Amino acid sequence: MSAMDPTEVFRQEASELFEVLEGALLDLGQRPDDRELVDSAFRALHTIKGSGAMFGFDKVASFTHEFETAFDRVRKGEIKPTQELISVALAAKDYIRALIEDPQSTDDIIGEGILDDLKRFVFSDPPAAPVVEIAVAPPLAPAESKQAGWHLYLEFESHILRNGSNPLDLLEDLCKLGPCFVVPVTDGIPFLDEMEPEDCYLKWDVKLHAACDKDAIDDVFMFVSDEMKLTLSPLEQVEAPAPMPLFQLLDEEPAPVAEMAAPVVEVAAAPVAVQPAAKPEPKSESRPEPKAEAKRDDRGIATVRVQAERLDELMDRVGELVIAQARLTQLAASGSDLSIKMIAEEIERLASSLRDTTMGARMVPIGSLFGRFRRLIHDLSRDLSKPVDFVTTGEDTELDKTMIECLADPLVHLIRNAIDHGIEDTATRSANGKTEQGRIELAAVHSGAQVLVTVKDNGGGLNTARIRAKAEEQGLIAAGAVLTDHEIHQFLFHPGFSTAQTISALSGRGVGMDVVKRTIENMRGTIDLSTKPGQGTTVTLRLPLTLAIIEGLLIRVGEGRYIIPLSAVEECIELTAEDERSRGRNFLNVRGNLVPFLRLREIMTATGAPDRHQKTIIISTGETHVGLVADQIIGNHQTVIKSLSKLHSDVTIFSGATILGDGTAALILDVAQLVALAQSKVEKQHISEAA
Amino acid sequence: MSSDATEPKWSLRLPADCSIAAIRNVYDLIREAFGRQDRLEIDCSSVDKADVTSIQLLLSTARTGEAQGRPVVLKSFSQSLRNTLRRAGFASDAMIDQHFPQKKDGA
Repeated sequence: MSAMDPTEVFRQEASELFEVLEGALLDLGQRPDDRELVDSAFRALHTIKGSGAMFGFDKVASFTHEFETAFDRVRKGEIKPTQELISVALAAKDYIRALIEDPQSTDDIIGEGILDDLKRFVFSDPPAAPVVEIAVAPPLAPAESKQAGWHLYLEFESHILRNGSNPLDLLEDLCKLGPCFVVPVTDGIPFLDEMEPEDCYLKWDVKLHAACDKDAIDDVFMFVSDEMKLTLSPLEQVEAPAPMPLFQLLDEEPAPVAEMAAPVVEVAAAPVAVQPAAKPEPKSESRPEPKAEAKRDDRGIATVRVQAERLDELMDRVGELVIAQARLTQLAASGSDLSIKMIAEEIERLASSLRDTTMGARMVPIGSLFGRFRRLIHDLSRDLSKPVDFVTTGEDTELDKTMIECLADPLVHLIRNAIDHGIEDTATRSANGKTEQGRIELAAVHSGAQVLVTVKDNGGGLNTARIRAKAEEQGLIAAGAVLTDHEIHQFLFHPGFSTAQTISALSGRGVGMDVVKRTIENMRGTIDLSTKPGQGTTVTLRLPLTLAIIEGLLIRVGEGRYIIPLSAVEECIELTAEDERSRGRNFLNVRGNLVPFLRLREIMTATGAPDRHQKTIIISTGETHVGLVADQIIGNHQTVIKSLSKLHSDVTIFSGATILGDGTAALILDVAQLVALAQSKVEKQHISEAA
Repeated sequence: MSSDATEPKWSLRLPADCSIAAIRNVYDLIREAFGRQDRLEIDCSSVDKADVTSIQLLLSTARTGEAQGRPVVLKSFSQSLRNTLRRAGFASDAMIDQHFPQKKDGA
């Protein structure tokens, strides 16, 4: 197995850091006094800078350094993170991302412009700058001013170098506090065979001959405090006089050995015996707590970064294994060898377990996707002058990573629509007795083997009359045709359909909702709209947990075999003689509720005589229940989903195919389409009865 | 560490990049060189990028050579490597000499 390209590792890690940075900046817009957010943003910047320099992204390091320097005033509390400053900081973040991901698309002039803006906000002292209020900590702590300095012992976690942190930079920063005497401790260096070359084994014993505040030392290590053990104790005045500062020497040509001889001999003689001197020292302060450290170690071992395509390959292999296992099971069932049957059962159990484990490894919290929309809302809100409160729930809900990737574009479109068309301008909202600030909620929740994702706004709701008028104008329906509100709203998913009176950069061209629907349906999901005039619109997406393998119910209709996704199956009942007699009405009485049903034999144009005892499988999408009448229910089937060829693209009631144990193919029924078909039949029946 | 200058030697010139981004390759090179029976001489004159990982690798190489009774000699430290060593606290040539068995140029 080949190691990942280090620059690719950096790109991936930078991508995660950008999310952290963006999230912190956006949150700062709402909570400008939250120090944690400032520190979080600063840590992300610092790591991007350090890693960028390490992996040869010099422009990134240089630009981020400038950004960091400017942002440092925010960290020090010298200026407030205003909305304007945050907007520029977000632009700077975008620029760094472009420098990493697509450097060809960047231009130094743009970068310089962003930095100029940043500096203008940060360094031009505003008239009401709270300079007077800021209590700058004195460099020397009065109570400790008599001490000669500090004795530090630095021990970093083994992975710290991989994170982009550089202990040498930290030592350099430390030496800026005062004359430093740095001794590397080399006793932890392993033999070559035992070495992980990217791990950190060196430790340092440092005597800092400056009576600085302990906080100043903490500041040096603030970004790595969780990844190191810092033992700090006051240095007694009687200890050796301050040596020549290390980094003062470094700025010059290497000093002749003779000049350095005295301190060198002292240090070199006992480089590993530099643990606190002969005298008993005050109790050391040590960070972090051992318990927390142990916890972190556990976490480090428990997580491995894997390339996404390897997970895809693994899923493909598991799919093939499941198909082969189904063949074996069928073969074993047809024979009489008990031991083969036992092995087949064991392999079935293992394949099922492997499938679940593999699918679990591909699950990603949907929160990773939600985070991206905060920026979108922030920018749209600013551009359209519509203040919007963005609320997310269910970020921990997990979906297959492929689903997450496919879901991004549809959600962008839905959110754009919500803010552009749904949320009214502030004047209209005020006039309607609403708060000036609109609200968009993005939520995810598990519902059986599905995930429901909802985009809800508290805007004006859909204008059903206008949608209808537009549909009539475009010739989609005849004037005066009887349609339910639900049917009218479906025109929004028609290609090229838009009721927007003006075309904006965001929406209004009528391109998009049809694509959204097609994308969701390609994912074997459904999209549903509900709206209340004056109160807002909710778009609900129902999605399967995975696109690769599902639990299916195998049924027979005539000579053909079909799969119904088990997640949609509510129950199976026998079609009674009474139900049979109701031919023409096609309704079942299920515990007092009338449920419409479809005869699959008619839909599939099955030949031959139907089975005497027909079975009905009740399926549902949300609140809607529909029965499917089949000849036989064969049983559960682990279904490896294969796409249909383009030749079958116009066949809407199938969402895919699978290979059965005997090598034949079975088509997978598209539950949403079948439910829609049943509903349409019911509505037509109502209309004809009313007429 | 003493060595007989007349015994066969295997020279290895370290690449320009010995930073963490490339240290795995350098590590593999050194281990491969260790697989030979000859005296190992490592030329550090081309090292342009060095960091903590390079220092550790050279320390480990020296330590491993000493433990196995295999002479390892480092020679021609580049200025960049020297600067990195000094930043890490190997503050003088004498101290560097103590930790890294060196062959002075021309020696």
